[in-house]
Amino acid sequence: MADYQLIIIGGGLSGLAAGIRAARFGRKALILEQHWQPGGLNSYYFRNGHLLETGLHAMTNFAPPGVKHAPLNRLFRQLKLSRREFATHEQLRSEVVFPGRSLCFSNDLALLTEEINRQFPDSVDDFQRLVKQVREYDPFAVRPWRSTREFLSAVLGNRQLEDMLLLPLMVYGSSEEHDMDLGQFVIMFQAIFLEGFFRPGETIRELLDMLVSHYKEFGGEIRYRARVARLVKNGDRVTGVILEDGEELSCDAVLSTAGLPGTARLADWPLDQDAHSGRMSFMETVNLVPSARRLSLKNDRTIIFYNRNENLSYCRPGEALDPTWGVICFPDNFQGLPQADPFQIRITNAANYAVWKAADQETYSRMKEKWRARSAAEAGKIIGNYQQDVVYVNSFTPVTIERFTSKAWGAVYGSPIKFKDGRTPLVNLFLAGTDQGYLGIVGSMLSGVTIVNQHLLT
Amino acid sequence: MTRDEIRDVILEIIEDIDEDADFDSLDADQPLRDQLDLDSMDFLDIVMELRKRYKLQIPEEEYPELSTLNSCVNYLEPKLKDS
Repeated sequence: MADYQLIIIGGGLSGLAAGIRAARFGRKALILEQHWQPGGLNSYYFRNGHLLETGLHAMTNFAPPGVKHAPLNRLFRQLKLSRREFATHEQLRSEVVFPGRSLCFSNDLALLTEEINRQFPDSVDDFQRLVKQVREYDPFAVRPWRSTREFLSAVLGNRQLEDMLLLPLMVYGSSEEHDMDLGQFVIMFQAIFLEGFFRPGETIRELLDMLVSHYKEFGGEIRYRARVARLVKNGDRVTGVILEDGEELSCDAVLSTAGLPGTARLADWPLDQDAHSGRMSFMETVNLVPSARRLSLKNDRTIIFYNRNENLSYCRPGEALDPTWGVICFPDNFQGLPQADPFQIRITNAANYAVWKAADQETYSRMKEKWRARSAAEAGKIIGNYQQDVVYVNSFTPVTIERFTSKAWGAVYGSPIKFKDGRTPLVNLFLAGTDQGYLGIVGSMLSGVTIVNQHLLT
Repeated sequence: MTRDEIRDVILEIIEDIDEDADFDSLDADQPLRDQLDLDSMDFLDIVMELRKRYKLQIPEEEYPELSTLNSCVNYLEPKLKDS
């Protein structure tokens, strides 16, 4: 008999969700996490006595308890967690800011509709038609790639409105440049505009702790600092994994959340690595600013998506960073949260992995300083200048993301080519997580759940 | 198990899956899914729980037998008579 029925590579949110599902129904499961703590892209660290989250701006897919079909609540049922005991804080309101126009939105679609009516009066009927079509579209049906840009241009016929709606959806989930698959668009539109942003009651640490202890209660095992070196194969089957310290573990099946290129490398199956690596990566800067400075800044939003150009160019920039568009997030600005002191401002901009990767250590540090300042200068034009008040600052680049998450090229949203059913050329090796087409925390967890349901329970 | 016991087991499993399950107006001859607003993922959980508890293997083509509370009891009665 094998050591484990299921080995899961990666203790991020999709791996933990998959583990809970498998362990709940009696599968002997082991999660292998390369770091000393769980979370993957959505983890945390401590600096100057503050807990800082690595990836979380907000969770998407808000739904109150009792709405049974909502993805968030389905997820909780699948994991056998009580949604009613899970405290949530909805966003205040967020805003998309373009030259000369801005659109606010909240978890109530009426606000966005009203804003469109104010800013694009000729398009409000088209927008309502769009919402109707999104609600009726089944994004999980298998069909060929279809251009969202073409779809939106036909429904809305207004490039600026199209770009303004696309910015939040692309920046929070698109691994493709310039355009996205219509199914992906529908998933993101529902997650952000129809359901909305929220935060868990505490930090990502408590959420992760809860998931890990729940998994262990079902009998699941997790090992930290356990990096997989390669998979052991026999013909078209995986028979086990070899860890970097040489230990070999046998298993009946493997579920990998290490991304498509990373998994292909571990399994030694031929894959065009470049075509399957996402070009979209980001630099994020976390700033801590004393609460006393709050009033001098525009800080009544939860998230501001800004673009200082006429059109949106969602693509890898030519230089190290493109500060002309991005995201300004205030993670403390959710309903019912106490006012934090100091409070956080997080700035996210598209970054070029290749440029960061090529830099030697000294250049890399200098680049960080330089681009952080440029990014802050652009963000300052929108929320007011905060740079002189920052008491703590830290940035992570595409190289940091690659190192901590195993995502090739630091592509947080994975490969532009998705393996939606999670299958690979090896019959008992499956993929879950971002490379499967679901997005955000709720999406990646549902991906772990779905792959276990489809391939590993029956 | 008697028919009543089987019925209670099914309801207990559903209650366990869905903290918001409300059986007050449940019609035993109408589909469970529609009345309780369950989806295919929840339905899989009912099957998986039956397997976990009673080592029952229910093939996918027989899932329709589990559509209403009464059809569940009819289908499970011979299988669980010795449990």
